[in-house]
Amino acid sequence: MPSRRISLTAVAIGIAIVQSVLPVRARAGINDGRVLQWKVEVNPIDAGDSSITPEFRVAIYENLVTELTKAKQFSAVLRRGDSSANGVSNLLILKTTVESYAPGSETKRAVTTVTGATKLKVRSRLCTRDGQVVLERVVDGNVRFFGGNLRATHTLARNVVKAIKQGTLPEATPSNQAQ
Amino acid sequence: MTRTKNMCYEGSSKRLFRILLCLVSASRFAPSLIAQDFDQARPASSSPVMRARAILGLDGAANNSMGELSIQDDAFVFSRREGPVVRMPLSAIQGAFLSQEDKQVGGMPMAFGRAATPYGGGRAIGLFAHKKYDFMTLEYFDSNGGFRGTIYQLNKGQGQVLADKLGAKGVHVSGLEIATTKQRLETNNAK
Repeated sequence: MPSRRISLTAVAIGIAIVQSVLPVRARAGINDGRVLQWKVEVNPIDAGDSSITPEFRVAIYENLVTELTKAKQFSAVLRRGDSSANGVSNLLILKTTVESYAPGSETKRAVTTVTGATKLKVRSRLCTRDGQVVLERVVDGNVRFFGGNLRATHTLARNVVKAIKQGTLPEATPSNQAQ
Repeated sequence: MTRTKNMCYEGSSKRLFRILLCLVSASRFAPSLIAQDFDQARPASSSPVMRARAILGLDGAANNSMGELSIQDDAFVFSRREGPVVRMPLSAIQGAFLSQEDKQVGGMPMAFGRAATPYGGGRAIGLFAHKKYDFMTLEYFDSNGGFRGTIYQLNKGQGQVLADKLGAKGVHVSGLEIATTKQRLETNNAK
């Protein structure tokens, strides 16, 4: 009977430890809560060698801005050329280059189901002002069944933001934080 | 034996009847939706205001909001029934691009209807329930100097009218306009 009481107490202590440690670990997680100190500026999409249309470039750019703002990973999301980015030193620049683009067709998708997918693959780089690459990922986005072709850009933007969330960003140094 | 044969025939004829019933009802549904879209379309040349859908990127308006596009003085104006009018100075526009794309009509209800139609009837509907739209993409700088882009969806033919108007105001337009100009030149040369 006493051994049972001891084991129950041990379990209760274990649960208490886990509960107290978990939030700390989550806070200290991948990005250690430091990302909030960074601001990000989104650059227009570089078409690279692909034949991507301006419509898709603009859609990727706008969706990236929207998704980054929604994610609240950065203290501010700025557009390229935004005057409020002047003098900000803790600024990361998101550069996106299209690696491949396969235009699809909504009608083909509706009729055949298996063909007509729109596929996009981009290389996203987070750089500091001096050009140092902090994070680099190849991300893809596509639309295979339902929805218009531009939905691929929305999926892509979400995947880029997910990749940034999962990545490790360096700590913003005190000199960087000074505005 | 003959009885079972008759039953088989009855079964297959019933199934055939059901398939036909589904297809007929679906085909009745599809043209009505297309017709609704055509009703919304206005003659491009006669009206200076064009109905358009702001697909994304328009500051001060939700994505996919319907409204009317016009060029007033030196501003590109998108007005809606509800909500403020969005004005964009033409001088801020860096470039405009015109493209054309095929889209399924009817939206989500139609998509569910297609998916629910048995024996591949949905695919047959998908073959006919589509329509071409013009897409006008604008790249511009906002009041803070930030780069922005918006995409408008217009009825077929209206994009070219808008592109011509923008071109006349000194905005650099590319895309479909170039192709059509080339076609015009080729046809002129052929004559």
